[in-house]
Parts: sequence; structure tokens; C-alpha cells
Amino acid sequence: MSGGHANLLPVYVMADESGSMTKVMGQLNEGLRSLHEALLGEPMAAAKVRFSVLGFSETVLEHLRLADLRHAEEMPELKPRGRTSYGAAFGDLRQRIPADVDVLKAEGFTVHRPAVFFLSDGQPTDKGWLEVHRQLIDRNVTKGAPNIVACGIGDAQAATIRQVATRDEYGFIANAGTDVGASIARFCTALTKSIVESGRSLGSAQPELVVERPQGFRMAIDVV
Amino acid sequence: MVREPGYREPDRPSGHGDAPLYRPERGPGRDGGRPEPSPDADTPGQPRGGAHPVDRPPPARGAARPPATDRRPPRGAPPRPELYEAGGSPAGVARPTRQPADRAGGRPGRSPQWLPVVLGTPTADFEPRPAEDQTYRPDTVTDGWSTRDFTVRAASVRGYLHRHRGTPRQDDFAVVVHPPTGAVVFAVADGVSAARHSHLGAALVCRAAVREILADLAAGHPVDWQNVVQQAAWQLVEQTRTLLGLGEADPAAAEEAMASTLVAGMVLPDGPTVSLIQVGDTGAWVLRDGAYRSLLDGKLHTGDPVVSSAVTALPRTPRVSPRRGPLGRDEVLLIGTDGFGDALGDGAGQVGRYFAGRLARPQPPVQFAYHLDFSRETYDDDRTLLAIWPRTKA
Repeated sequence: MSGGHANLLPVYVMADESGSMTKVMGQLNEGLRSLHEALLGEPMAAAKVRFSVLGFSETVLEHLRLADLRHAEEMPELKPRGRTSYGAAFGDLRQRIPADVDVLKAEGFTVHRPAVFFLSDGQPTDKGWLEVHRQLIDRNVTKGAPNIVACGIGDAQAATIRQVATRDEYGFIANAGTDVGASIARFCTALTKSIVESGRSLGSAQPELVVERPQGFRMAIDVV
Repeated sequence: MVREPGYREPDRPSGHGDAPLYRPERGPGRDGGRPEPSPDADTPGQPRGGAHPVDRPPPARGAARPPATDRRPPRGAPPRPELYEAGGSPAGVARPTRQPADRAGGRPGRSPQWLPVVLGTPTADFEPRPAEDQTYRPDTVTDGWSTRDFTVRAASVRGYLHRHRGTPRQDDFAVVVHPPTGAVVFAVADGVSAARHSHLGAALVCRAAVREILADLAAGHPVDWQNVVQQAAWQLVEQTRTLLGLGEADPAAAEEAMASTLVAGMVLPDGPTVSLIQVGDTGAWVLRDGAYRSLLDGKLHTGDPVVSSAVTALPRTPRVSPRRGPLGRDEVLLIGTDGFGDALGDGAGQVGRYFAGRLARPQPPVQFAYHLDFSRETYDDDRTLLAIWPRTKA
């Protein structure tokens, strides 16, 4: 790498388009529009994101691919259709993400680990999705294996959502009885914040925290 | 990026007095001569001040929307300057393409010659917001001076993202001289963005590290580099306790509040000889004949499919071993945070070429800071750069 053209974070929204989403689809589309508007007010954060919107049921539909949202006129509309195949969703990402990473790197970009925001309102209707999911997040198998933030609403079960999320703290489940529309709004807000705040974080493999006062310690009093 | 092969661990035999430990490996096509600044070489066939970015990649497939706001032809833009530097070569890559997009409410007038240098596609154009914090934190600091043995330039500039959001510069540096030995002692730090008071953390670890090195020099014994790390880390713990009113020292709270990277070190006139330690991804390079060589571990590695933004930072205290080696009379020592280092990459790109020309010899400190404040899309982090030139003896 020679001082690439730019740093990029590929972001994928993988949203459930199964029939049961009919009632809340309007709110999800509204949430994506709000995300777009928020990013237009954060031009520097937006410059670092390439945004894909995908809908899944038995198959995956690509609504937006690697878009620079500063230049997008409007967000696509998701539409309910079919059943809830997690295997279709993760299988698509398994093929799509390495190809996208190659495309972006070939164009000279420095690519950060992709982020997938997964939203579902139901339990998967297919079997075998866990193995596809395992391959997708295995960094030895999938180039650019993503971090997955998973949000469950409606009939989605907490245990399932925890299996989808790549870290425990990346799994969210709407409490029973909460307004599903409000949950989707919160999901989109979290998505926006994650994109805007995708700066540096503390590494996971860390040396020890300092534990004791060193000999001869003196406070610096001219800074704070 | 080529790692510095000649830097030795502290316990190895010495011998750097006659064997040059960091001879640059010449890049392809280099003839060994000191190049003149030639930024125009970046844009073959393109007229200076042209309307198109010089290295913007084509849009990703599927990104089907037409270009929007930042592609509009500038309306009412100030006239472009003929030259950026009196007596220097025209900075062909540095085209002031700032847009008048957000002048609503009145925008201060700007002299064309002080518009930021644009390298590639410019970042968004706006008037910065103040840094909202209880502690005063200037947008830009710069320093510069010479001793008998060295010339020093340093600057820390707030990144465009922090300017846009009204948050403080989280980078900092400290650089002092130790007169009895002639050593230039320095520290450069980058506060971790996730830590709310990391701008204080960066300032604190720089001051603490420099003070400890000076104390060791004053005592006449070898610098205890591990102690430098421990002292800087504990500084964060104690200052967090004071700032947050905690009853007792809480390292975990300090990490959450003030985590910061650190490179600290010194250059002694004898040799001259450089010693450095590193916690986190702040970088160090030697520039010679337009080629950069990294002296420390970076976060970007050739061949990695994707990069990580995770970082090790104080008050974590890794075991450190100082890297040591001579600094050639025709070399420049550079210490920089990732806001500079990421844009530099391996130095073969546009940013590397631009700075190779500007750092070939010392420029006035304010000009040094001005160059560091270049505009380049998605490179919007704080930037801090310290440069040390050995002075040629008559």
C-alpha cells in the first residue's frame, strides 16, 4: 500500500423482507432515509463509507451496491416478499464481500473490515444457515470476514440473534411488547451512529493495564 | 513498507559507530541524488490548477448515482494562487478547489495563498467549529528551533473531522533539549478517539515521557525506557482520578477516559544516535533522498486483506525495547501520528512525494504546520509531525 486513495468502510444492511415484515416495512424505509439524511450532514464520515442495501427472503435482492451516500439521490425501498432464509442472506454475503473488497482494493482504497447490520423479525425457516454463517465470519476462510451487528424484532429470538452477531455486545433484541417500529428506528439510529463513529477503537488483544504507582511518580500539573 | 532492519534491540553489541545501521534501500529508479521538490510529477499531462482531482479512482461499480455537491464547479471561488511558496516550485497538486458551499451566515475571508494544499480529492470545505471542552485546546500548535547539532520542526493540527464536529485535537507532542548532552528529547502521542478526555491523555503522556527521559539524562544514567512507559501510564491513572473525582486510582477508568498512544525517544549528537520506544500505532521514519523507511511497527501491513482500526494504548503497558541506530547527516528523522502516517503509506504515493520535497530541508515552523494541514478526502484525523535534521558542521 502506498498511501491509498482513501480509507473505506464497506457497510451492508441485510434486512428481512419476509412477508411478516409488511407492517413495519414503511418504518424501516423511513429509517434508511433518516440514515441518508444524517450522513449528508456528516460529509467526512460519509466519504469513508460505501453502503450496500440488501433484502433477503428465500433469495437476496441487491437494492444498493457500494454506494457513496453523498452522491445518492434517495434510498431504495425495501418490499416484503417470501419467507425467512438466513442461509440465503449469509451465503450472499459470503460471495459478495470478498468480491467487493477486491474491487475496492483494486481501485486503490484502503479497506477496513466490513460491517454487516442484520435485521430480522422472525426465526429462520431454513436449516444449515449456521454453517454458512460460520464460514462467512471465519477470517481464514472469507476475505474481509465482516463484523455482524444483529437486531431482532417481533418473533426473532434472543438466542438466534446472539448466534448471528459476531460479538455478544453486537446483538440486540427488542423487548417483547415494545413497539416494533420504534425498535427499527433505534436500529437505524444505532446504525447511523456506528457509521459516523467508526474511528479507532481499543484493540482486543491488549497488554496489561498499568497496576501500580511507579517509584518517583509526580503529577504533571501544567496540562489539566 | 520496509521495516528498519538495522535497528537493534538494546542487548545486542554496539558497533553503530562505524556501520551505518539504517542505510535506506533505494527505491526503483532512484539515482541517489537529492531530488528537487517536484510535485508536478504527480500529475503528468495535467495543467496546474486543473479542475479534476489528480488521483480520484473511478466510482465503484454499482455506485450509479452521478457525482454531486463536491463536483460542482466552484462559483465565486477565490482566484487560484500562482505559487504556494515564494521561490519554490509551483505546487501543481495543490489546487485550492474549496467550494463556497457552506458560507451561510458569513464566512471569513481567506487569502488564496493560505488555502490548504489539496492532495488528491479535497475533503469537505467548512469553517471549523470551536473545540468544546473545559480545557483550552488550540486547533494548531507548532514549534521550531535549532541547537548546535539539530534543527527541529514540529506541528500538531486538528483533523478536519474534529474541526467539523467541534471536538478537540487529540494529538500532541513535546520536544525539548537537554543542554548538557545536546540531546533532543521528544514525545508524540495520539489520544484514542473512544476515550472522552484522550486529548488530555495525549498531552499528559508527552509531558510525562519527556520529563522522565530528561531526569535520567540529568542523573547521568541510561534511560529506563520501561519506566518511561510506566510513568506515562500512571500519569493517566492519577489525572483521571483527579479529573473524575475518583476515590482511588482506577486504571480501567483511566483507559476509558484518557487512552493514548505514545512514541518517545531522543537523538544524541554523538553519531547522531536515535533511541525510540513505541506504544500503539504512532510511527517513525527516516527520510533520505526522497525515500521513507519505517523505524517502528505500523498498523498497515502489505498483503492484509483488510485493515483493523484497533490500537494498543496507554495506560496499557506493553514491554518495550528501544530501537536504536545512527541518524545520517543527510537524513531526516520523522515521528508522526497515524493522521500523517496513514496518508503517507509507504511514501511512494502523492503525500509521500509532496512531503519528500518539503522536508528535504527545514522550512519555517508555520510553513511546516501549513503543509501538514493538507486536504485529502477521508484523511481527516488529527495530524502531528516532528522532524529533526542533523546540522552539518562547518
